[in-house]
Parts: sequence; C-alpha cells; structure tokens
Amino acid sequence: MITYAAIPKSVLMMMVSIAVLTLAMGEAVADERSWEEIVSAARGQTVDWFMWGGSPAVNAYVNGYVAEQLKTRYAITLRQAPVKDIAEVVGKLVIEKQAGKERDGGVDLMWINGENFRTCKKNGLLYGPFADRLPNQKLVNRENPSVSNDFGEPVEGLESPWGSAQVVMIYDTARVSQPPRTIGALLEWIKAHPGRFAYPAPPDFTGSVFVRHIFYHVSGDAQRWQGPFDQAAFDRAAAETYRVLKELAPYLWRQGQTYPESPVRLNTLFADGEVDFSVSYHQAEASRNIIDGLFPDTVRTFVFDEGTIANTHFVAIPFNAADKAGAMVAANFLLSPEAQLTKADPDVWGDFPAIDPTRLPAEWQTRFRQQARGIATLSDAQLQAHQLPEPPSQILIQLEKGWQEHVLKGR
Amino acid sequence: MISRARQDLDARTRPGPGFKGLTVLLAPALAIVLVLFGGGLALGVMQAMGYLPGAGLGRLGFQHFAQVLTDPDFATSFALTFYVAGVSTAIAAGLSILAALGLASLRSRWVHFIFQIPLTVPHLVVAVAMLFLLAPAGLLSRGAVALGLIAGPADFPLLINDNWGIGIILVYVWKEIPFITLMILAVLRNSGRELLDVGRTLKAGPWQRFRHITLPIIFPALAAASLIVFAFTFGAFEVPYLLGRTYPMTLPVWAYKHYSDIDLLARPEGIAAGIVIALVVATAVVLAQMLTRAARKKGMVL
Repeated sequence: MITYAAIPKSVLMMMVSIAVLTLAMGEAVADERSWEEIVSAARGQTVDWFMWGGSPAVNAYVNGYVAEQLKTRYAITLRQAPVKDIAEVVGKLVIEKQAGKERDGGVDLMWINGENFRTCKKNGLLYGPFADRLPNQKLVNRENPSVSNDFGEPVEGLESPWGSAQVVMIYDTARVSQPPRTIGALLEWIKAHPGRFAYPAPPDFTGSVFVRHIFYHVSGDAQRWQGPFDQAAFDRAAAETYRVLKELAPYLWRQGQTYPESPVRLNTLFADGEVDFSVSYHQAEASRNIIDGLFPDTVRTFVFDEGTIANTHFVAIPFNAADKAGAMVAANFLLSPEAQLTKADPDVWGDFPAIDPTRLPAEWQTRFRQQARGIATLSDAQLQAHQLPEPPSQILIQLEKGWQEHVLKGR
Repeated sequence: MISRARQDLDARTRPGPGFKGLTVLLAPALAIVLVLFGGGLALGVMQAMGYLPGAGLGRLGFQHFAQVLTDPDFATSFALTFYVAGVSTAIAAGLSILAALGLASLRSRWVHFIFQIPLTVPHLVVAVAMLFLLAPAGLLSRGAVALGLIAGPADFPLLINDNWGIGIILVYVWKEIPFITLMILAVLRNSGRELLDVGRTLKAGPWQRFRHITLPIIFPALAAASLIVFAFTFGAFEVPYLLGRTYPMTLPVWAYKHYSDIDLLARPEGIAAGIVIALVVATAVVLAQMLTRAARKKGMVL
C-alpha cells in the first residue's frame, strides 16, 4: 500500500473506474446477446480455426464442406490453421495470457480434448461457458459421461462436442490372415514376428493411447481408474506396463532403437510393408486411406476382445478470440444434423457423430441409420460393444513421462 | 601482397562516413537486432529463470539451467549435436574447397546455376526428400531390390533414424556445400591467379601452390562460412527431428520437446536449453575468431 500512497487519489480512482468499466463491458457484451444477435454479429467475421492438420480427410471436410456452408449460410469466412499438435497453440495462449493480450487474439476456434483441455481450463485460457448457448446443443446427449467429462475433466460448457473416435488396429488380410484378437495375443504375436510391429513414440497422441491399452491390459481392468486416483495402485500398474514394454522393445521395428514420430509415419511404414500393423485413433481412417489409395483394399481393422479406448473430441474458443460470435456460430453449425451426417460419410471422414441421432426427426434418423460404411470400418454395434473409457489425464501424463523415462531411455 | 597494400591505402585515403553518419546508417539494422533479437533473448532468459506468471511459477533463479545441465541426457544430447554439426560442417567444407577449385576454372553458366539450386530448397523439404529416398522402404532400397542388388528392404543399410545421424549429415552436407562454395568462389575469382603464376615460375608443385597460396587466400572466407554453417546446424531443429532417432535427441529437439510439453512447468527448461544452444554457438564464434587471429599472428594464414 505504501507505493499507492505516492499516486494522487484522483488518478487512482480514475484508474480503478476505468479498469472496472472495461471489465464489466467485456463481460456484458459476451453474455447477454441472444442467439440471433450472435448470428448477425458473426456476419463478415473470419474464424481462424487451429487444429491438428495431419489428416487429409479432416482437412478436406473443414476447408471444403464446412467452409462453404459457413460462407453461404452465415457469411463467415473459415480459415483453417493446421498445426502438428494443438499443444503448440495452448502454449501460445499461455504466452498471450502472460502478456496481458486479452482481446483480438489470432485463434478463434480450437480442436481440442483431454490433457490440452485440462491445461486450458486450469489456466483460464477458455472463453465461456458457451456450449449451452448453441441451439444445436440440445441434440447432444449430455448424460453420456464421455461428453460431460473430457478425460475425467468436467467440461462445464467450456467446449462443445464435435465428434467421437475409437482406437482400432489396422492390418492387411493379404499379409496377416488371423490378427491377434486380444492385447495378450498381440504381445505374443510381436515376439513371434520380430521387427514387424511399431507404435509411435509418446507423447504422440496415438503412441500414448497404445501405451494406455497396455496399461489397462496389465492392470486387468479399465474401469477401476475412473474413480478417485490411487497413486500406489497406479505406480504398481505403471511399473508393470514399462516392464512389459521394455521386454517388448527388442521385438519391435528397428529393435525399439527408434520409434515412428507420428501415426502418419506409422501408416507409411505399414503401407510400405515395413510393419504388419498400424494403430489409429479413428475407426474410419483405414477406409479413408483405402479410398485415397494409400492402403490396398485388402486392409481391414479390428478391435480387441477386451475393448479399445474411445473418446469425444471438442471445439473450444480461446479467452482472447477476436471473432467469438463467428466461432460460436461455427461450433453450432458443426453440430447440425447436415454437418454431422456429412462428417460421418466414409467418403468424407467417417467420424462418429457427436449428436444423438435418436433426438432427431424420424427422417434424419433413417438417414443416419442407412449411411454407408467404409470397406474397412467395423459396424457401430461392433465398435460400441468394445469401448473403453479414457483414464483421467493425470494418468495419461504420468504414463507418457514414465514411458520416456523407463522404456525409451531404459532407466 | 602488393594488391593488399594498395587496398589498405585506398581504404585510408577514401573519406569515411564519419561517426555520426555511421550511426545513422547502422541505426535501422541495429534497432532490429537490439530490439527484436536482444529483447527476445532477454525475455527468454527471464522465462528460463522461472518467470512464468500465467502458470503459477514465481521464484527467479538458475534452477532450470541447473536442471538442464545436470540432466543425465544433457551430455549425450550435447555430444550428439556437436558431432552432427561438426561432421556436417567438416565434410561440407572439404567438398566445398574441391568444388570451388573446380568451378573457378569452369566458365559454364549452367553448372553455376545448377550448383545454386540447393540454396533455394528449404531444409525441411530436403529432409523429407531424403526420407523418401533413403528409408529402408525408400526409393533407393526398392530400386536395389528390383535390380536384384539386395534380397529385400531389410538388407538396405540404415541411413535414416540411424545411430550415427547419417541421414541428418547428408541433408546438411547437400544443403551447405553450395553456400560455402560460393563464399570461397567469390574470393578465388578476385585474387590468386597472378600469385599462382608466380608460384609456378618458382617451381611450386600443385600441392605446394594449394597449401601456400590458395588455402591462405580462401581461408578467411572458408572459416567464416564454416562457422555460419556450424552455428546453424547446431541450432536447427527440423532435420534431426525428422531423421534422427527418438532417443538420444539433439539439443534443439530436446528444447522443443520440453517447450511443447503439456506440462507447463517443463517449459522454462526448454527455454533454458535453447539459451544453452545460443551460448554454445556464441562461444564457437568467439573461439573461432581467437584461433584465426592467433594463426594469423603466427603467419600460418593471410
């Protein structure tokens, strides 16, 4: 308080009132507009959507269908900013927060989930809650735990669901006629076929989820990690996970001396015949790659008998987004039946819908039901009967760190 | 020697811009260097010392530098980076001398043009091209299998993500040879012909002429260019990230991994590693200057 005494009282008062006023204005403008007002404010805005850009199918859907529809329906220009990892953008937002850049930020919309969402939420990097204000949010089943919780972190309206995905194993029937159906059988297969299997190095998203499957396998039960976190139990299961993976390393591609840096590279190795399996955190990616001519049409997918991990992915708006109205209209459009149905088309992307089709009119329900599937994509029934939840993100982060420490560096 | 003395004389007699004029001329460049580079460096040092108000870190100190330097991986990463940068520079410099000598007597514009192409291609593109070319299932390997030279892709030598950084070094050598060559060539073109003739009249052999005439002439340019290449390769990220092994990794990859870690507490370590890289490069520059000066005093080079 001593330092404040040096400033004249009137100046101090002025500073305080300006600060209060700016704060109040910023909050009020965002929160009281009706949806119609938001839509009209969004006209002419340019929405910069930062997202992982590693999938040609997703990029084509976003830059093609979504961008065109937003332009004609709402006069919004959509600009995709592809990034290798959305964590880079989260880092950028942290810097902007530090620098006090509270408005006119360059990021309007982010494709996000899991640990990145948790970091954003913890550091106050998100605008909102905004999800409840989107009219199409009523099509989403909010009771679904994977929609209300993102990797164990309550969503609380700070992000809006866009779709969901499930891990599948990819193989070529021309090379492997009978793929191993359980994780235990896969581990045996790898040891019996040295050098024919690889997984991307965590913290890569796909490599990381592969390690979590091993973690679930050695701990015997996926559900037990959903409750309160038990460090001692985790440490035991994690140590066993690293032991299994270390033992496996000499049988991997390049004897585990090096790992593919991304699922894109793993797919290349698989297509080139260097390895016999690929892993994908997307049930329809293999079909998509067949359509694109990257994989032969003998490629198929399978899930483990004990299940594979599934999650919901979301879009969120940064605290300092310059075009929040445009971003909200875009997020709302992404949830529309048309956009969700197009996205689920295997020729487009083949992503699971984020909306619950049973909440739609009968005509739309039929269209969702009758949609064609990719040649390598399993049926919804098969996939949904074999879904495992993601563990809370602290488990994920500890496993990623532990993998690097114990499996990669061999300590 | 005569020409050099005349140059010195010219420099002395030509009216200089004066201190004031010099300040005005240099101001724009200096401002950019000081504000953007100096400011960025200062911010980096602050963050590396733990200044990260957004993430709940407050204590300033050298603990992150200490963590980087005492990390058991640091020595390995440092050695690997030094090895990759050193070997790339040495090979590129050696081949550049040969190329410059060859090109100096060659008058073909086409050869010069082709030689400059690598300068325009980004490192990232070269790295991906090498990946397609040299990977175990790459173009060369498939070609060799098709020609029956090897039985299968497994017999192809490991050149990418290998233990010796061969892929990385190949990219750097391919990229940097034209740069060093052009630097040497500029010097070679403008001097040395008469001296070589003098050498010939004094019955100096080709090696003697190279060692005592050409090398001293090109040495300053060669050293400067090599130093730039070393500094660049020591701090470059994309090539070792794509073509290196997952572990051990070079220092720039290490810095990136820490900086982009989802755990924000790892970020100061990433920046600290980046500053260590900057320090190493700065030390290399100073050291090289001192060596050159010492060599000059001993009369080893011009």
